[in-house]
Amino acid sequence: MNLARVFAVAQREWREILRDRIYFLLAFLLPVMLMLVFGYGMSQDIENIAFAVVDEDRTPASRDYAHQFIASRYFAFKGYLPDADAADRLLAQRKLRVVIVIGPRFAEQLRTGRTAQVQTLIDGTFTTSTRTIQAYVEAINQAANAGIRTGYLARRLGLPPEQVSRLMRPVVLEVRYLYNQEVRSIWSVAPGLIMLILMLVPPLLMALSVVREKETGAIYNVCSSTITRAEYLAGKLLPSVSISCVNAAILWLLATLYFGTLFKGSLLFFAVATLLYILCTTALGLLISLLVRTQQAAMIISLVMSIIVAIQFSGLITPVSALSGGNYAIAHAFPAMYYNAVVKGAFLKAIGFEVLWPQLLVFAAYAIAVFFLCHLLFRKRTRT
Amino acid sequence: MNPSVKRTLALARVWLQQVAVLSMKEIKQLLRDRALFIYTVYIFTANIIIAAGGASNELRDSPVRVHDADRSAESRDLIYSFQPPRFRLAGEVDSPTEALRLLDRGEAQMVLDIPADFSASLWRQQPTHVQALIDTSQANTGYLASSYAARIIARYSEGWAERNIIRAGGDPRHLPAIKNDLRVWYNAGLNDKWFNTISELLTMVTVACILLPAAAMIREKERGTLEQLLVSPLTPLQIMLSKLLSMMLVMLCGTAVAVFGIMMPLYSVPFVGSVPLFFLLTALYAFTNAGLGLAAATFARNSAQVGLVVLLMVMPIVMLSGTWTPMESMPAWLRALMFFSPLRHFIEVAYGILLRGAGIGVLWDSVLAMAAIGVALFALGLARFRSQFA
Repeated sequence: MNLARVFAVAQREWREILRDRIYFLLAFLLPVMLMLVFGYGMSQDIENIAFAVVDEDRTPASRDYAHQFIASRYFAFKGYLPDADAADRLLAQRKLRVVIVIGPRFAEQLRTGRTAQVQTLIDGTFTTSTRTIQAYVEAINQAANAGIRTGYLARRLGLPPEQVSRLMRPVVLEVRYLYNQEVRSIWSVAPGLIMLILMLVPPLLMALSVVREKETGAIYNVCSSTITRAEYLAGKLLPSVSISCVNAAILWLLATLYFGTLFKGSLLFFAVATLLYILCTTALGLLISLLVRTQQAAMIISLVMSIIVAIQFSGLITPVSALSGGNYAIAHAFPAMYYNAVVKGAFLKAIGFEVLWPQLLVFAAYAIAVFFLCHLLFRKRTRT
Repeated sequence: MNPSVKRTLALARVWLQQVAVLSMKEIKQLLRDRALFIYTVYIFTANIIIAAGGASNELRDSPVRVHDADRSAESRDLIYSFQPPRFRLAGEVDSPTEALRLLDRGEAQMVLDIPADFSASLWRQQPTHVQALIDTSQANTGYLASSYAARIIARYSEGWAERNIIRAGGDPRHLPAIKNDLRVWYNAGLNDKWFNTISELLTMVTVACILLPAAAMIREKERGTLEQLLVSPLTPLQIMLSKLLSMMLVMLCGTAVAVFGIMMPLYSVPFVGSVPLFFLLTALYAFTNAGLGLAAATFARNSAQVGLVVLLMVMPIVMLSGTWTPMESMPAWLRALMFFSPLRHFIEVAYGILLRGAGIGVLWDSVLAMAAIGVALFALGLARFRSQFA
């Protein structure tokens, strides 16, 4: 490979990018804007769940029970409803997501040591948040139960409530959250966003470059020149990779300085891994550019591939280990999943080369494999 | 018939014929590009199938490691209550430091630490503390893991609590209890496949409807064929309308294939509401999004610019409209901004009609918002149509 020729292609490409001012600006602005919007918006905390109460008992005990939910920061109380019909209507209109129906004789049954019936209606349209809401409701109900039982037994047995409470809870679970002590999702979201944005933008920056020359016919200049295929492809990759590296640095600064995410790991490790990851995602864009004939196709295919991979097969929203067979395999075929482990490790877990070296190997092998594939697919002599 | 009315009718027919011919041209262009054709088929078939097996925050076989300092029958009892489908015992660890190492490597999501005096405390009626270290680098599943663990521990300690109460002179059979019956509506089995396939369909329709017309328009602009069309007897309205209509037609066919060919037969996704209403509103949604794409294309000079501009609009629309992240927890300003996302309204419509059987009486405000956004964008695109060449 003649480096002078590689740089000549890169320089020409770079000039083309520089001359399109709007494109040049967008290439740097886009990652920043996505990071800001998602950093504020993409919280995975499920809070402010609109809920209402149907209280058929109307006693201090039932109001107490309702208050346990009203006081919770997860729920946003929208008022009492007259009956279950109103609940049905408001759930159907999506004005409410949860309705708690406290049955008649609630207080009486509790006072006499029996089981009181409560019903919780949950809108199951969005299954992921529904599951978390179920867990919230059960936790609050369990706490309410424990309080009522303790009070009841303390009265019955004439013992101090603290002692009864100790008898009732023989095993106490102490939960310690690691890596993200307050379970604040911006901390787990911000590193994930770097992965997401570096999966979205580099392929798109790259995807149009070769196909544009195919459309305008400029590719024939390359075909008739002495430059080799590898030199041409490397020269094409270089400017996009450099832009993305600058973007990665900006994203890292935004995550740590602006969003205040702790960076516990080694910066050197993170930089090496990020460079390799960018090579992988940019090479994917190049591959698409070689496979298609129109810019329209290149754009939509690179965009859709990036969106699908980054959202579904990266571990951003749901862990890869929870994916079923075929999807588990697809996730392993793209670099995003490995880089997600890298960002999580470097930001939250303070681990680096010693644990995550296999990921680096994957990136290196992946980039080389995709580049090799591009080399195979790119023909200077067009098929006749 | 009045001759002037006759003439107007004849003109209208020609006008419509021109739009139809142009629309056919757009569709042919889409289908003749082999990569684009494969892509269009893919998003409505295979991609839906892939999405069905995808995202779920359900805890499945989450690896649990145990540090058991007690090694008694009681502690083993507790350990073995962590079972599939939610948890999976991945083995014991000898020390807390090893536990941390395994958590680092992701080989455990939770480590249970059982103290040496676990069984002794139980028999002495002293509360004993079991520690759970939970990896919350994935905030959502971390919370679910801790809540399921709490439930398992609560069930385990019930027997011991009853023993304690009997020994204190109480009667565990007559204790007050609140039984909270959880009823999930519209998706009683919490089948993630329903949610996932619908959400995937909406995402793909959104991306395609914005990007394809924008890219088609910019191509004509780059090649100069758009200026050729402008000097022909066609009006800008006809040119834009043909791009919208062809998009609507492709999306309607694709959605029909996805819903009737994949989602309903393979995953028994319900179709509770009205079929014509659903497809009518899908067409409206395609119109609104195509309007967005065309308006964006009038601001760009080449394909590369349009690609970046579309990405900038599409990603927030897809991620923040309420499927991937809950609307409720967004800051108020962002929620207000998302009002302008057509997908935000179409989510109400699609899930509403398919799962809840909602009619126009419930959905009218979403429909109105979609229509208003669409008309405004279409008007903007039309107004800029000629001036974009300056």
